[in-house]
Amino acid sequence: MASFTASSVSFSAVSCSFKQNKVSSLGKASLSFSGNGSSSRRLPALRFRVSCAAKPETVNKVVEIVRKQLALPNDRDVSGESKFATLGADSLDTVEIVMGLEEEFGISVEEESAQSITTVQDAADLIEKLLEKK
Amino acid sequence: MASTMKYVRVPPNSASLAEARQRVFEFFKTACRSIPSIMEIYTLDDVTSPSQLRSVISSEIRKNAHITNPKVIDMLLFKGTEELCNIVEHSKQRHHILGQYVLNREDRTHDIGNKDQGASDFLKSFYKSNY
Repeated sequence: MASFTASSVSFSAVSCSFKQNKVSSLGKASLSFSGNGSSSRRLPALRFRVSCAAKPETVNKVVEIVRKQLALPNDRDVSGESKFATLGADSLDTVEIVMGLEEEFGISVEEESAQSITTVQDAADLIEKLLEKK
Repeated sequence: MASTMKYVRVPPNSASLAEARQRVFEFFKTACRSIPSIMEIYTLDDVTSPSQLRSVISSEIRKNAHITNPKVIDMLLFKGTEELCNIVEHSKQRHHILGQYVLNREDRTHDIGNKDQGASDFLKSFYKSNY
């Protein structure tokens, strides 16, 4: 969503002869983004999770995803306070982890919030906040 | 309908490397967010999973991680966006997706970054694959 709004801003600078296209593409674009099939399918399952989700559980899930993504061996300690950089993730890894979390929890992380994630705890807190908003 | 969603044009100039990085991340996010619809279009549910496709996309991006010229990065992004558009609007077919992104990832001789290294280029491309 964030990336699309950025591109629509640049689109308006292009030319007004494209106005028709822009309006129709915006309308269709919002449709196709909201029609993201898997997230709407996942919502019913999320309802159960929200009612019984405790913070440690979220953190554990995040740790699990991080571990799998960075292929860390089991003896490597990953806690709430571990920074992604110290675990050997570069910036693309961080984005990928965030996308994995988006898919796992059925949430959608905004551009600015994604920038601020540096530790596992940050990610878990953001997830909790987004789950509550639902 | 899917084609208009993908009118994410990359404007021609990234002012700096930092801006180019941001564009790369946005492209990656757009690609990851379209993975569910891709899996639905080409019915990839029994051959792969969203996380595997995610890692394929990130490895393709990483192949060019050593580039420092923002204009080259823009060009690569343009090509990546074009590829993503083609896939999302069903201009490709299942066997294209399978051959290029799903199967035989381990068998390919991946370049370690520096493309002109050692052995003959012809052989390298030959081993790499048809695609």
